[in-house]
Order: sequence, then C-alpha cells, then structure tokens
Amino acid sequence: MEDKEILEKFANPDSRNLAFNQLVRKYQQKIYWHIRKMVIDHEDADDLTQEVFLKVWKNLENFRQDAQLYTWLYRIATNECLTFLSSKKRKFFLPINDVAAELAEKIDSSADISGDEIQLKLQKALLKLPDKQRLVFNMKYYDELKYEEISEILGTSVGALKASYHLAVKKIEEFLKQD
Amino acid sequence: MNNKHKNITLNDLPKHNVYQVPEDYFDRLPMRIMERTATEPQQQWLPVKLWQQLQIAIAPFVLLLLFVGVFYVSLKSQPEQQAINLAAVNDSEIVDYLSAYATLESADLAELNAIQQQELPSEFLNVSSKAAEEELEYYHLRDTDY
Repeated sequence: MEDKEILEKFANPDSRNLAFNQLVRKYQQKIYWHIRKMVIDHEDADDLTQEVFLKVWKNLENFRQDAQLYTWLYRIATNECLTFLSSKKRKFFLPINDVAAELAEKIDSSADISGDEIQLKLQKALLKLPDKQRLVFNMKYYDELKYEEISEILGTSVGALKASYHLAVKKIEEFLKQD
Repeated sequence: MNNKHKNITLNDLPKHNVYQVPEDYFDRLPMRIMERTATEPQQQWLPVKLWQQLQIAIAPFVLLLLFVGVFYVSLKSQPEQQAINLAAVNDSEIVDYLSAYATLESADLAELNAIQQQELPSEFLNVSSKAAEEELEYYHLRDTDY
C-alpha cells in the first residue's frame, strides 16, 4: 500500500486501525534495524521500536504531508536512539568510551549476534564512532539512503554529511587494519 | 599487524547483517504494537491542544490584569467622586459645618465676602454685635477697608 493511501485511510476513523497496521507492517523492519544497529541489544531495540510506533500513532494526524513519511519515521527513530544512548550514559555516569565498551562486549557475548571475525570487527569499529557519525554511516552504508534524505532526517547539510561519512569510513578502515 | 586485514577496505566486505531476531518476531510485532495503541489516546488536534495549554498559561495574567485595571479605575475616579459628593451638599450646610467645626480667620470671611460680593448677615457670623465690636477693637480692624 502506498504511503498516500495509508494516510488517507488513517484520516478516516473507520479505517484508522487497519491503515496503521499496514504502516507498521510496511516500516517495522527498517525502523527496527535502524534502531538495533545503534543500541545493539535486541530487548532495547524492541522497546524503542514499539515506542517509535506509539509516537507515530499519537502524532500521525499532525504529520505534514510535504515531508516523506519514511523520513519522518526515521527522524522519530533516530531521536529515540539518541535519547536512549545519552540517558544510558547519564544513568550510569559512564563516559562515551565505557558505553561503547559495554556495547562491544555485547557483540562478543550475545547469542543473537553472529558473523565472521571481520564482520564482528566492523561492528566494534562502528562503536568507536560518535553516535551521530555512526547514524550517518549506518544510513548511508547499510540503508543506502541518499545524502539529501539523511539531511532531511538529521537536519544537517549535505556537505557536512559527506564529510562525516568519509571520515567515518577512514576511521573504520584504520580500525580494521589494526590487530 | 594482521596481514589478512592489512589492506582491507569497506568495499571488500559484503554487507552482512550480524544481528538476529527471535523467530516470528516481525510477525508478532504489529499485533503487540496495535495492542498498545488501544490503550494510548491519540494526540488531540494541535490547535485544540495549544488552546488548552494557552488557557492555563493566560489565566493568571488575565486575573492580574483585571486587578490592575480595577485598582487603576478606582484610583482615577476618587477625586471626581469627592467633587460630586461635595457638590451635592447645599451652601447652608457647608456654612453650618464650617461655623461649628472649623477655625475661621476673619480673613477667610473677608475672602468669602469678596467672592460673593454681598454683605455678610449677622446670623452667618453667629456672634453678637458686642462680641464682634470687641473683636474688631482687639485686632485694630475697625479702620481697615475690605
């Protein structure tokens, strides 16, 4: 179902639930994986994905249709991730490196994370990046979004995003070359 | 240095997802979300919500403004009210009041006479001829022309 059709059906109280169910089914995986790559842990990603869709449910009526629906969803998910990660740092008085170390430890020990050595090393390299740079990298490299779309989601200029991505690639490749 | 990864670039790596989800996770997730939406009220239309918030924020200011307005109006109307009240009292009552309670100087009476351009009646002075004569004598006013 097209976004336009989902929004039209959502505007009608009789077909609202059906339309929202369609929306969740259409975007749940994109949103879940976007969040999962940021928070690593499945339980956290599950909680945050539900929170994102609850916010969408509450605010979809106010959604301005001059923006793309999926960039709006990404923006909500991105904000949830950043809020979650910063509250995690504040809650335990952890510096950024300790949160990254905690998440890296999950990559090694979690039963629902598997891959060859270099793939796991790539995931740990990503955790060395600042949160926002990691977001940019994930959206460009894994989700293959255009810079213009990422710009709309993060509210950052295309030039700054290009610079951030290339710097991230450089840092990751440096890390991969290390023992 | 690990020679295996020495010249590796991101382009050499396949985009492999290392994370997994429990079985049927994405089949069950929409139902779990829909269950939660049933208990979550939708946000009210923005202007309605905004108006409700504004009402709460504006209420104390309106009350304050009302108090200031009432105070200002009452302050402004006080002298006018006093003038109106005084105008309602007739001259004879004012004269009675002044002669009974006020300490009048002869100069005050002279001024009043000059304003009204008329002779002061003896009853206005509320004093006997003899006492008046004595008063004039005492202050050497007999020859003074008012």
